[in-house]
Amino acid sequence: MRFPSLKPTRETLVAMAMLLPSLVFLATFTYWPILRSIYFSFHDVMLGSNKIFYLGWENYERVLHDSLFWKSFRNTAFYTLITIPMSLVCALLLAVALDSKIRGIALYRSAFFYPVMIPSVAAGMVWVFLYAPGYGPINGMMDALGLPKLEWLYSSTWALPAIIVMSIWKYSGYFMLILLAALQLVPRDLYEAARLDGVSGWHQLIHITIPLISPTIYFVIIIGILHSYQIFDYVYVMTQGGPADATNVLTLYIYQNAFQYQDIGFASTVANMLLLFIGGLIAVIALTIGRRVHYLGR
Amino acid sequence: MIQSYFRRYGMHLILIPTALLWLSPLIWILVTSVKTRIEVFDPSSGLLPHVFIWDNYPAAMAVAPFGTYMLNSFLVTGSILTGQIITISLAAYAFARLQFPCKNLIFGLFLLQIMFPIYAIFLTNFLTIRELGLLNSLPAMIVPFIASGYGTFMLRQAFRQVPTELGDAARLDGCGHFATLWYIYLPLVRPTLIAFGIISVVTHWNDYMWPLLVTNSESVRTLPIGLGLLAKSDSGADWTRLMAATVIVVSPLMMLFVIFQRRFVDSFMHAGLK
Amino acid sequence: MATVSLRCITKRYGEHTAVKNLDLEIEDKEFMVLVGPSGCGKSTTLRMVAGLETITEGQMFIDGVDVTEAEPRERDIAMVFQSYALYPHMTAYMNMAFGLMRTTSLSKTEIRSRVMEAADILNIHDLLERKPKEMSGGQRQRVAIGRALVRKPKVYLFDEPLSNLDAKLRGHMRAELKRLHAELGITVIYVTHDQVEAMTLGTRIAVMADGRIQQLDEPMAVYRNPFNLFVASFIGAPEMNLLHCGLDAAGLGHTGFLKSLPINALEAGEDHRSVLLGVRPEEISIAAVGQGTMTGRVERVELLGPEALAEFSIGADRLTARLRVDQVPPVGTDVGLSIDERRMRLFNADSGQAINFESV
Repeated sequence: MRFPSLKPTRETLVAMAMLLPSLVFLATFTYWPILRSIYFSFHDVMLGSNKIFYLGWENYERVLHDSLFWKSFRNTAFYTLITIPMSLVCALLLAVALDSKIRGIALYRSAFFYPVMIPSVAAGMVWVFLYAPGYGPINGMMDALGLPKLEWLYSSTWALPAIIVMSIWKYSGYFMLILLAALQLVPRDLYEAARLDGVSGWHQLIHITIPLISPTIYFVIIIGILHSYQIFDYVYVMTQGGPADATNVLTLYIYQNAFQYQDIGFASTVANMLLLFIGGLIAVIALTIGRRVHYLGR
Repeated sequence: MIQSYFRRYGMHLILIPTALLWLSPLIWILVTSVKTRIEVFDPSSGLLPHVFIWDNYPAAMAVAPFGTYMLNSFLVTGSILTGQIITISLAAYAFARLQFPCKNLIFGLFLLQIMFPIYAIFLTNFLTIRELGLLNSLPAMIVPFIASGYGTFMLRQAFRQVPTELGDAARLDGCGHFATLWYIYLPLVRPTLIAFGIISVVTHWNDYMWPLLVTNSESVRTLPIGLGLLAKSDSGADWTRLMAATVIVVSPLMMLFVIFQRRFVDSFMHAGLK
Repeated sequence: MATVSLRCITKRYGEHTAVKNLDLEIEDKEFMVLVGPSGCGKSTTLRMVAGLETITEGQMFIDGVDVTEAEPRERDIAMVFQSYALYPHMTAYMNMAFGLMRTTSLSKTEIRSRVMEAADILNIHDLLERKPKEMSGGQRQRVAIGRALVRKPKVYLFDEPLSNLDAKLRGHMRAELKRLHAELGITVIYVTHDQVEAMTLGTRIAVMADGRIQQLDEPMAVYRNPFNLFVASFIGAPEMNLLHCGLDAAGLGHTGFLKSLPINALEAGEDHRSVLLGVRPEEISIAAVGQGTMTGRVERVELLGPEALAEFSIGADRLTARLRVDQVPPVGTDVGLSIDERRMRLFNADSGQAINFESV
């Protein structure tokens, strides 16, 4: 890095002026909150009070021994680690299907993508209706197929999977679009060459398509992980964390600790753990899949 | 021969049911909003209503000030977008065309912001808003989002495509950096601005948690919050009214989506091509 | 009056020096061409005149005013770029008016009349309401020139403006530019890598290489008397022929020569020096075998229509001559070749510098 001269050039001053608005907001609403969260996690702070007591690692110990924390953590992990791969597979299959130049592609695209336009709260509510044990259409269909009706959102076994299904419905279209864009950049002659070589469609998918769009798949996974925070909306509206904390997730747990128990210190600690989990997950993805990503002609 | 038929129409055989599956929640929303309450709870009544009941809509509107909610949603989403365009235009230009120390480091800070959506850091942000005295106001829902690392990144990519000679010509024509940005660069990246705008509008119009945290009174609530309140108060009783309300809440974006389908799809599609 | 004065101009980018201590005085109404290969520093120099690049060391004056630190818009110059740099989202009219709107206090009517004036000169009235993508390369070129004309600047700067045009259009535009210069009496600094443009357009040309001016003079003077090997090879097509000769007391000798050419080298030096003899293709004529300056074998002939280019081998060297089509001997024959001894040039084989001499 060149050592900056003492007198800032005019260009540097203009640049600083241009960056200042963004930096002010970034500092105030991204970086300052993160620093404070770390600070609070080492202290005893209550919502609405000015008194702060230093606690050292106590909050962290408490968190690690808290069974509800672990339950939320497991739920969050379960949700994230199931939803993303399944949405990805769904999205990939849909994208491949739509890439084959069939008629009506615009209609299909809209049909799969529109859930993104619906606010999570509306989607949540509709699915509460769909999942309603007594009169909801899903149980109606189960009945018609001769399957037992389930309690769905009222069952501690099925509540989280129910939400997972809903998430897959909501996000697959979004991922599908992104993957479709990448698929359309794959040169057609590669497929033709493969066909001439006698490679079947399925193998074409595995050995040609997927490696060539791997940067995009990587991108979609990261986006998916970042979107998984949004489970708060669904859970808050649909199950409030129940039944019996079956759908309590970390974001909700943070919320409960902060606004119901008013324990900012503890809530911050959980928030930091969440950030560590997500950050760690992204790091793992970057190091495993990110390494093997094949960049076309870069 | 059969094979080629299958190839062409076989796809449809799989896709049509799948598409219908995907559309079914939407269909249920629409259909339920025009049913009577009794019909909803009777599983044997089937999909379509016997009679189209339109009363649910005025009932939904009467129960909560959806007009105010919609206005607030407009104001909040519009203000966020305006603020974002200003900040990202300036920042992206600086990163694309200017030289200054620690440029890469500062850009890294912008990129890093993408890793921390509001859902991840809502607690301490709430406290900041409270300390700024902004709780329960429209600005509370606007200010945390004005800086956008993602938008800055998108726009920087677009600015870099603008030939540098245009900047030279502008300089000779008497433009400083700000004038060059305004008269030359921004007009040339309109598609990117639109794409970003669409993503921003969809994200913030539908935002639920953050407005939930920072608002408390009718006058500042946004549509998703209004809907959420309605859902909780009804708790399973008045589905028809709730579905009508849902249609109201979902309509603006859906209508825009149907009209500008191409644009919407292009925006989200090319989000991934970095 | 529009003069430009560059004094000891140096441009450094970190470790690399692009322009080294350049001195150049451009006179009023002159058409100065900076010509040289890529990387020689000509564009950098032009950009420094424009104010688009900062000057590391040295001073720049326009009409006696020190503009070394001045912003481009303060220098009363206009520039035509290689890729025209027209604003894609504005019409031709707006492209031309934009600079005036921003830098002058002219009224809308005054601006309009200026644009119309330029449109008259360049014959681009029907293009004014079009956007750049609706125009051909040549049309965009003219709009770019129009943008410069409306400013009525002291100095016009051209950065390889004809490079992106096809050959036919280039010839046409060269004539246009020459006409403009004559009619409007403007001062022009023109950068190109094409020596044909340099020769035909410039009142004076500055041949540049490696960040320095190798030679500054009128085109024909540079053509006839190049200072060094670089200028000799760069100017003129086909390239000047170079024969590796030895210079000693008997004169200039070469294996293909019939006899040594008596030379009086005006610079004190050693005997048995190796020098390069430069002679242009049109300065060679056919003689009978055993007559003329040397004997050569015909290796290759290219018939171009109006003339022919014949390549001969003389000892270890090759020589290209410009001949009339009916004069060309068959390939493989040995012929005599005569050099116009008044036109010979000698170059030091090591330094490349021209050597002063007299024919005896």
